[in-house]
Amino acid sequence: MALMTEANWEPKVLAFCCNWCSYSGADLVGLNRMKYPENVRIVRVPCSARVNPQFIIRAFQRGADGVLVAGCHPGDCHYSTGNYYTRRRFLVMKRLLEFIGIESQRFQARWISGAEAVKFRDTVTKLCEDIKALGPQRKLRDQK
Amino acid sequence: MHILAKANLIEAIERLVKEFKVLVPMQYDGVSRFSVWGSHGMQAFNASNTLLPPKDSLFPRTETLYAYQVANQEITGVTVRDQAEHQIIFGIRPCDMQSIHCLDDVFLTKGYADSYYHSKREKLLTVCIGCTKSEPTCFCESMGINPAGHSGADIQMNDLGSGYRVVAQSQSGQEIVEKWKDLLSQGQEEVVAASCTLKVDMNGVPEMLATLFEHSLWQEVSRKCIGCGTCTYLCPTCHCFDMDIQNQGNQGTRFRCWDSCMFSDYSRMAGGHDPRPSKSERLRNRFLHKLQFFSERYGKSLCVGCGRCLIKCPVHVDITLLIDQVRKEAAHV
Amino acid sequence: MNAIQIKMREVAGQLLSLGEVDRVIGWEKGRFAHQSPPAFITDETKVERLIWDEYCLTGTAKYLLDDPYRAGKTGLFARGCDARAINRLIQDGQVKRENIVIIGICCTGMSDSVSRQMAAKCCDCTHPTPVVYDLMIGEPVKPVAKPERFKAVAELEQKAAQEKSEYWTRQFAKCIRCYACRNICPACNCRECFADQYRVGWLGKQHHTAENQVFGLTRAYHIADRCIECGECARVCPVGIPLMELNRKLIKDIQQLFGDYHAGVDSETAPPLGRYSLDDMEEFM
Repeated sequence: MALMTEANWEPKVLAFCCNWCSYSGADLVGLNRMKYPENVRIVRVPCSARVNPQFIIRAFQRGADGVLVAGCHPGDCHYSTGNYYTRRRFLVMKRLLEFIGIESQRFQARWISGAEAVKFRDTVTKLCEDIKALGPQRKLRDQK
Repeated sequence: MHILAKANLIEAIERLVKEFKVLVPMQYDGVSRFSVWGSHGMQAFNASNTLLPPKDSLFPRTETLYAYQVANQEITGVTVRDQAEHQIIFGIRPCDMQSIHCLDDVFLTKGYADSYYHSKREKLLTVCIGCTKSEPTCFCESMGINPAGHSGADIQMNDLGSGYRVVAQSQSGQEIVEKWKDLLSQGQEEVVAASCTLKVDMNGVPEMLATLFEHSLWQEVSRKCIGCGTCTYLCPTCHCFDMDIQNQGNQGTRFRCWDSCMFSDYSRMAGGHDPRPSKSERLRNRFLHKLQFFSERYGKSLCVGCGRCLIKCPVHVDITLLIDQVRKEAAHV
Repeated sequence: MNAIQIKMREVAGQLLSLGEVDRVIGWEKGRFAHQSPPAFITDETKVERLIWDEYCLTGTAKYLLDDPYRAGKTGLFARGCDARAINRLIQDGQVKRENIVIIGICCTGMSDSVSRQMAAKCCDCTHPTPVVYDLMIGEPVKPVAKPERFKAVAELEQKAAQEKSEYWTRQFAKCIRCYACRNICPACNCRECFADQYRVGWLGKQHHTAENQVFGLTRAYHIADRCIECGECARVCPVGIPLMELNRKLIKDIQQLFGDYHAGVDSETAPPLGRYSLDDMEEFM
């Protein structure tokens, strides 16, 4: 993993995907022989409610240019109610990040079911494009 | 005697900028500290003391000790980061000057010299400005320090109103004064020195403390303490640190950073045992280190009477009140 | 001598002599006139140490956590903010109501020890009269809404991303990581803070802006729906970081998104982030 220079910069996008829906959705992208950008690194979590809001701050600090949290649609949570908590948490978190000057495009939360391969592909493709347009995230970075 | 007119102060500093990183007292965004000449903020040569002590120029908050890379599970390319710049602390007060002497004792004496500290100390010059006024929280005189000046500084200056009296006190100080030759005039003026209004009697306190280790006063004094690190991080002489590594990808660094004996994880050992489990033990340790242990080991007080902890402690834990109380309790023992 | 102070000493003396409590926590005089630190009194003959003046700034409730298993009852002098802090601690399962005798004081606001004007935390106080008490000293006043306390937040929200980022970077560059904000905060009652578990990797011990920000933001979010707005964090910060702006931003958003909620006003209503509604706003579809 060589350090990226300004010239060959490619965004790093971290995607927290719920095991039951969004991770399967991402899997289905491949099964359907569709492509999504290599910039996305997926972290599989048991439920979107497992994503501690600090993970987002820490990801930005350690070098992520964008973060996605993806979970089951409301009503579909494997654990019945996990994603309702996720929704509350990240509605607030998203606004906090904007308040400290992180561009709103850099952090997103989406409901993506196991069948929604196209939605996963489109979401991350759009996310990567937006972040490419914004450039590297340096505001919370260790090394500025 | 040499006098540097205040109008020439900026020129005098500018002459040093080429060779030295010049640190001056600055006020920026509500915080006063020693900052590099020319950085944001207002110069604060007239303020009595900076909020943040100057110790970070010798003992940085976070200091990279070495960096390394990892390839095929082997550590390669270890580079030691130990380059010091020539620095001048311009406008240090006598109490802070004494604090550098305390740090010197810790990092350079008793058979081991800390190379990171040593290389910075060797390249450091100090210009001390004597105090003409004291804050209500200043008590350096009680700690055996003269508010008018400090013999350990390379150059001693004293505010005479329109200018500063300049006295070189070392070879390197003399070299700086040479550079200012054309800026200096000759004259005779009385040096006015501040006198502290806050006084404590330190006579015999280290010996008294030695008898009070198990005394209930520590419970009492520490009750209001909230266990934060304000006192230790604002203290010019506190010098505890921790070491850790930071890895990212195939490279990493080992660094040391300030730590505070007031924190719960400070004295916790690997097995989980903590010899100072509550704030009364931690507070006792801090005060004993300041007033007893250090003078037993190095023959001087580790408290220099700058008053920073008196000003900023959120709950007004007051070392001077503690000293008064120690005297009282020791009389009863 | 002021009437509140006379009454405080009287009540404390009674409670201690009757054995209803075995200590009271109030305030006493420090070395300087503008210092009124907390006082802990266990002896009825020492109640004369108790004072009430415009510098009684420090919260009393957090001290209940110092020895959570102590046998006796504590008499706690509580202003509006302290009473909400007690509710906070009760709701978080940290203290038991039956172990505290709350002596409420109707507070008219304290003075900043430097500027001698009304302290910032008191200017923004919505509940000067204790919301929970056993005994009350002074004349109760009704809670005030004070929507203007969100003004600084609203102004900052309007700024461009770059400007906001520069503002907070500058603020957190000052942070000396003394953790006074955390240690004084009644909502920060975790037995072990994530910041102290640095071997786990939540937070590096390095003192630099990035780590300072991670600490500050994580702490702010962790108390987001539980902050009682006592303003102690901003008061004790030795370098003057406007921490209440972060807390108020979160409080403001939580109120707008999930309805009116004032943490610590009662000890029953669960904090908004610990519950949910099926009708919550949908932005993630």
